[in-house]
Amino acid sequence: MVESVLGSFGAKTIADINNIGRAARFIWAGLVASFRNLFHSKYYQLIWTQMYIIGVRSVSVIMVTGAFVGMTLAIQTHGTLASVGMEERLGVLINISVVKEFGPVLAAVMLAGRIGGALTAELGTMKVTEQIEAVRSMGTDPIRHLVAPRVLACLLLTPILIIYADLLGIIGGYYMSVVQLGINSRAYWTFSATGVEFWDLSIGVIKGFFFGGVIASISCYKGFHCREGAEGVGRACTEAFVASFISILALNFAMGVIFKAIYNTLWPGVSLL
Amino acid sequence: MTEKELINIPVFDNGPVSKDDGIIVIKNVTKKFGNLLVLDNISMAIEPGKTTVIIGPSGCGKTVLIKHMIGLLRPTTGKVYFKGNRIDNISEDELGKVRTNYGFLFQGGALFDSMSVKENILFPVKQHYKVNKNSGLDDLVKIKLALVGMDGFQEYFPANLSGGQKKRVALARAIALNPEIILYDEPTTGLDPIRSDIINELILKLKNGLGLTSVVVTHDMKSAYKVADRIIMLHHGKIIADGDADHIENHSHPAVQQFIKGQVSEDDLAVIRMGGEELKSQFLPEDFRQ
Repeated sequence: MVESVLGSFGAKTIADINNIGRAARFIWAGLVASFRNLFHSKYYQLIWTQMYIIGVRSVSVIMVTGAFVGMTLAIQTHGTLASVGMEERLGVLINISVVKEFGPVLAAVMLAGRIGGALTAELGTMKVTEQIEAVRSMGTDPIRHLVAPRVLACLLLTPILIIYADLLGIIGGYYMSVVQLGINSRAYWTFSATGVEFWDLSIGVIKGFFFGGVIASISCYKGFHCREGAEGVGRACTEAFVASFISILALNFAMGVIFKAIYNTLWPGVSLL
Repeated sequence: MTEKELINIPVFDNGPVSKDDGIIVIKNVTKKFGNLLVLDNISMAIEPGKTTVIIGPSGCGKTVLIKHMIGLLRPTTGKVYFKGNRIDNISEDELGKVRTNYGFLFQGGALFDSMSVKENILFPVKQHYKVNKNSGLDDLVKIKLALVGMDGFQEYFPANLSGGQKKRVALARAIALNPEIILYDEPTTGLDPIRSDIINELILKLKNGLGLTSVVVTHDMKSAYKVADRIIMLHHGKIIADGDADHIENHSHPAVQQFIKGQVSEDDLAVIRMGGEELKSQFLPEDFRQ
């Protein structure tokens, strides 16, 4: 009994390690192919197409997400700040939260659902109908043809979409704070300007590159390695979203620690708020 | 086409197999998926300009074998040669160039469903040739589609085609690069007898008209007899028969006779008959009746 449990645990561990290794090799191959594609005009049309699908079609949903984040933050924090007479500082709290954390993370999660699911389903269906093997059989590298354009489009456009989310988050926060809650507009912007630095904005945008790369790489990997049949494709989509979501949160935490350390090294003694 | 830039086949170290031995040579190939042995020390050579048909029951390793011939799968042990050069141990980039000499017809056609028929046929051309608007691509598509009797379907999408039409378009795509060898994976599966015969006629037409070497994987004996110059039978991952149609028809191996006559074995019959008596008296167990 004990031997059997230990045996199955060992087999599962080995299988998991194999999967991690396979995923790492796939992601590395995708990144290398993306870099190589940048220097081949043959792939530009594919990249443009993916940029349209991934970027342009996501703008509206990302803007709506950003706007609600800003408005919700205003509603939730206004009472607390008002109780200590600091409601005019609402702007700095909302805007720094939006540009550093909520904007990038929620925009990335929204993209993982909208884009990640679509990428996995598309590539998964191509896999189970032998279309990916057909690409290989015609002497074309499916990583360069299918994965790299999607990775590049996500890498390049996620930071831009995050800027959209930030912008609408700021406008949403302003609308709730000034128009609905009656905070002085001048004070709102003055405190915001002193509290939010270019550094804070940059952090959100830099996070976008990593989030975009993670979403595209995981989604493409899951699509390329999904099991046969409709259930296989469905399961791959779910796994892609869950893996992307956890990776976004973990990356966000890791980058938070790293950026704080960098900030403290560059500007020692200066408070972040 | 103007400004075309042919991709040259890389020159590899000559292996122990000469190109005179066969356009494709499989040497002692064994393939395992985990603990499952699919191909068991297979050796064979494909003669140029001939049609070799590989037959065998479902799951015997036919498709796995044909995928080794084009490098879509790599053997666990053994070697695969194309024109005397080993292709089982070269990089994917190098294999990509070698594969331009092949056409592959997949079982379901594997047409790209986001592309029209025309775009599907032009896909391999655009991947390997420098083309521009004046490259005569429309003429190329027309010629390839006319070869399979599908001219006029250029703007259709795969979703709007029947099963037989999809396979014919897939065949047009497979010959888009003027390959030397074409591999057919179950070309008549899922088609009615008339559509199956159209595919058989196309296989013969491409062999006789263009001099293509063909390898056909099938379990359709009518098709096998019609197109084959040589028939190889796989059984449990091993070759158990190899010869022309007459040789196979008169082969003494019981598995060969059983397969070509489409007869179920006594063992399989016993499994099917188990529980048959109960079936006569009651369709469902008593507990499930309302």
